[in-house]
Amino acid sequence: MDLYGKMAATQDMKGKGEGGDQNFDYMFKLLIIGNSSVGKTSFLFRYADDAFTSAFVSTVGIDFKVKTVYKNDKRIKLQIWDTAGQERYRTITTAYYRGAMGFILMYDITNEESFGAVQDWSTQIKTYSWDNAQVVLAGNKCDMEEERVVSVDSGRLLAEQLGFEFFETSAKDNINVKQTFERLVDLICDKMSESLDTDSAVTTGAPTAKLTDSAPPLQQPGCNC
Amino acid sequence: MGQTIGKPTSNPFQNSTLFSSLKRSSSSQPTCDQNTRPSIFSTLKRPPVSKPSDFIPLFNDCIYAASSRTQEYLLFKDPEDKFHPSPEVLTQSVNLNMTDTFNCTVMTPEQRILLGADWVWAVLEKPTKNPRIQIAVQVLHMQEREDTEENGITPEACSESLQMAQKESSNKSTYERLVDFCTSIGKDCYALFLFFGKKNDKGNIYGVLSNNFEAAIGKCNNIDRTFIENFFKGSRVKHFMSLLFLLNC
Ligand SMILES: Nc1nc2c(ncn2[C@@H]2O[C@H](COP(=O)(O)OP(=O)(O)O)[C@@H](O)[C@H]2O)c(=O)[nH]1
Ligand SMILES: [Mg+2]
Repeated sequence: MDLYGKMAATQDMKGKGEGGDQNFDYMFKLLIIGNSSVGKTSFLFRYADDAFTSAFVSTVGIDFKVKTVYKNDKRIKLQIWDTAGQERYRTITTAYYRGAMGFILMYDITNEESFGAVQDWSTQIKTYSWDNAQVVLAGNKCDMEEERVVSVDSGRLLAEQLGFEFFETSAKDNINVKQTFERLVDLICDKMSESLDTDSAVTTGAPTAKLTDSAPPLQQPGCNC
Repeated sequence: MGQTIGKPTSNPFQNSTLFSSLKRSSSSQPTCDQNTRPSIFSTLKRPPVSKPSDFIPLFNDCIYAASSRTQEYLLFKDPEDKFHPSPEVLTQSVNLNMTDTFNCTVMTPEQRILLGADWVWAVLEKPTKNPRIQIAVQVLHMQEREDTEENGITPEACSESLQMAQKESSNKSTYERLVDFCTSIGKDCYALFLFFGKKNDKGNIYGVLSNNFEAAIGKCNNIDRTFIENFFKGSRVKHFMSLLFLLNC
């Protein structure tokens, strides 16, 4: 419900901009979280700018990028927040959890500690975000097979236990980057349709027509947004 | 006040106010177990800030280099009057990366709006490279910052995300955002408002640094440019217990 309320609110922004690329049907706020140096910033750069650099510039506080995706003829604006993993920024980063509809929780397959911290990050999500927020667990740097210390299976198992979807990814070699975001968007869309079905009150609102209109489904049947 | 940084004799840290102030802050930091689980309260418990003697000379050099370079911009007079460096250039010219104990991160355009910082200096902890002390810097130019914010942004590619950033933080001024950002980190993060030139003294660089600007909120209605400029007149200084120093380089 909260999720939907937020969606409706973001409709306000539709068509407001004076010229340029301002129109969109929905806006999703996504957050990338996880320990420092697991590759969050690189992952976002790869997705938004299709670029990668091996230089490590530790993110200060928070930052975001915008990317538009299309789904069933709807323009979905993704506002993707990149967070700093370090403890000192915890107050500022958790302040941004509240509005997020989806999370990419990232660890580094070559770094045991970052994998061990996944449980803690998951608790952070539960503490500071909406109940309906969707989460994808991403084991990044899967291009570094020789230095792997976290097996695919233990990653998958943990994701299962936490109820998250799971991908192994590489920002460097562009493996599963787009797929991770697309899956997260699908999950959010599913959740939205679900919460609409269970609450008839909101189905009278104008945005609902958009959500439930029967555009031909893409690869992901069952998601109507 | 009134010394210029161009002179090698004018060392902004000559009287070591920063030095002593940082020392004071270090002794007031309680120690803590770094292995404790992340919690929102942990920003209150920081590992002790170690003695500043190792980075003060470095910091000093950085300020010196940055300010010399900047002063050249400020005082440069093009005989043909064709050279008009934008405030943008000034802000970005101070990108110094010295060693692995000290770094400077230039904020992205979005971060500049969200956090109110143009760049962030950090003294790093040796093995972890985690920041130990940070100084988040906001640059104020001779003309009002608000002007530069509106006119200095190219209307192309980033304008959309910049508008979003503005929308995210529209209820606060850039000054307040910087103070909020530093406060959210804790007492080892200082806010530094840096003035490149002032009305009657265009070649000079002034700054005011504190890790306790938030004390101003509540005492005054809001933090604005006038408020910060008043630091230089000394009229408000008495309100702040931990005003660290007036940088006069
Ligand atoms: N080999 C490899 N290196 C990566 C990958 N993603 C990030 N890195 C590197 O890991 C370091 C930290 O990345 P960064 O994105 O800054 O991590 P963040 O702190 O989580 O934002 C940088 O040096 C990156 O170049 C990846 O998929 N493969
Ligand atoms: Mg980062």
